[in-house]
Amino acid sequence: MKQSGDIVLEVRELVKRYGDTVAVDGVSFSVRAREIFGILGPNGAGKTTTLECIETLRPVDAGTIFLGGLNVRAQAQEVKRIIGVQLQSSSFFDKLSLSELLVLFGEMYGRHVDPLALLDEVELRDKSRSQVVQLSGGQKQRFSIAAALVNDPVVMFLDEPTTGLDPQARRHLWGVIKRIRSEGKTVVITTHYMDEAEELCDRVAIMDAGKIIAMAPPHEMIDALVAGGFRRERVERLASLEDVFLNLTGHTIRDE
Amino acid sequence: MRIQWMLTLASLKMFIRQREAILWTILFPLLVVILFGFVRFNGVGKIELGVVNEAGAQGADLLSRIKAVRTIEVSEGTRDSEMAELGKGERDLVLIIPAGYAPAGGATDLTAFGDLEAKPQVTQLGGLVLQRVLDETTFAAAPGVRRSTLSTLPFKSRNLTYIDFLLPGILSMSIMQMGIFGVAFSFVSLKKRGILRRLWVTPIRPGDFIIAQVAMRLLVLLVQMTIMVGVGVLFLNLHFIGNLALICLLGILGGVVFLGFGFSLAGISKSEDQVAPLANIITLPMLALSGIFFSRSNLPGFVRAATSVFPLTFLADGLRSVAIDGAAVAQVMPQILGLALWGAVSCALAIRLFRWE
Repeated sequence: MKQSGDIVLEVRELVKRYGDTVAVDGVSFSVRAREIFGILGPNGAGKTTTLECIETLRPVDAGTIFLGGLNVRAQAQEVKRIIGVQLQSSSFFDKLSLSELLVLFGEMYGRHVDPLALLDEVELRDKSRSQVVQLSGGQKQRFSIAAALVNDPVVMFLDEPTTGLDPQARRHLWGVIKRIRSEGKTVVITTHYMDEAEELCDRVAIMDAGKIIAMAPPHEMIDALVAGGFRRERVERLASLEDVFLNLTGHTIRDE
Repeated sequence: MRIQWMLTLASLKMFIRQREAILWTILFPLLVVILFGFVRFNGVGKIELGVVNEAGAQGADLLSRIKAVRTIEVSEGTRDSEMAELGKGERDLVLIIPAGYAPAGGATDLTAFGDLEAKPQVTQLGGLVLQRVLDETTFAAAPGVRRSTLSTLPFKSRNLTYIDFLLPGILSMSIMQMGIFGVAFSFVSLKKRGILRRLWVTPIRPGDFIIAQVAMRLLVLLVQMTIMVGVGVLFLNLHFIGNLALICLLGILGGVVFLGFGFSLAGISKSEDQVAPLANIITLPMLALSGIFFSRSNLPGFVRAATSVFPLTFLADGLRSVAIDGAAVAQVMPQILGLALWGAVSCALAIRLFRWE
């Protein structure tokens, strides 16, 4: 296993164009082993495209990507073996149970997986005989993560995993993601929820219009902003509306 | 190899668990055959008469008079070939004009063969009509001479029914529907829902998935053919005398042709709404004109010529000749070549047009 701090993913001057539009415009960053690295940005900033280039789903126009010592552009097939991917808005086959799907996905890597152990990882053991269509939003995302774990990947890519989930399901998913990291995986996650990035990520890159405009640990970014004289207009309350909501409705996830 | 097998198995599981798919691929075609099987198309149409003229020029006048009768459709041949056709049920009656017959000769009697038991009306009617024509011929040549008589002798023929025609046709139809509609709809949906994208971040290659999909459908097709032929023989009195391996070969060739078209359609369509009209444009003319429900022999000449090269025509004709006439490889070679050619065209199209996204 990679030591903490070793660089497992290095993106240099990545460029991706769609016709005349430059979706990713010279992006560079590196991710260390056992890090949760966040890519933040508004819709259309190029987060998903950046991930898809790394995941070998899209041909790259310029730049280099090294992942686990492999050149992504030249060794796509080998890269696929060591990454786990959760795609935004992708689905799974109908008519197969969660267990069957995990076994099938394991076979795609030539592995015999224990589906129940994987489902335990994301707390879905009792749904092993269900089909994906029968799952709630949060369960679907957790299953997606389980499917991304079948090959015991070095790096996990999660593309907006909590979009559309209620506060309880989001928090639950955060727990799952933290546990995966604590088991030695590196996680690259995109989100446009700042509280999520603050809670989960060791470092974040903020993207806008295809470029990275800032990159640092979340608390450093906040400190820098405050040091620059920034103050919120309203004095921070001791609780937010989300705290009220969770206090009233509890932390228990509802989708089971 | 292993992953392709696993994917095939998984696809098969998914297919079987889709109740509507089972309904359309297995039950629906069977239902059509059974329903049509109860409809009897047994009214006396034209009398299919085989004539064996062994009297040469002496028989010519009689033959031309028979041909002039509107309700009789004449085919000429040797004794062996015509009796064989009679045995297969292709002729209602076979008339032998023996050597030594002469219109004015008077003394020679004629014989006709027919399945008196299975086709009582048509053989009796045919016998009466032939006797009348025979009398006319004798009278025209030499009035007053003793008339030649015709006796109709029984001959056991394979008594083909509409089911025998229909079942191979319906089988071809369902192969076409599964290939074109089945593949096009399911792949468009897999694309649209991002299921394929999820597969491409795993190490499997697109080819593995296509192979599995094709293999799964060919397996289903074999099961479907077995069930249809089985039910036909056991319950519908299907006169199946064909070589099963040859039937399977033709079915698989046809399957490849239509799967190719299915993948092509899936390639150029972005949604199910786009697939449906295109699939219908391709399949409807073939359903109507490829001799699935009714024989192409009644079509106008140019339409018949045009439809003879339809892939569904090749498949239906091929399956029918093998299943019902017991044709061997050599006899269905035109159909095999036709299907192979269409298969090359459809697969080339599929490779050009198919898109993963």
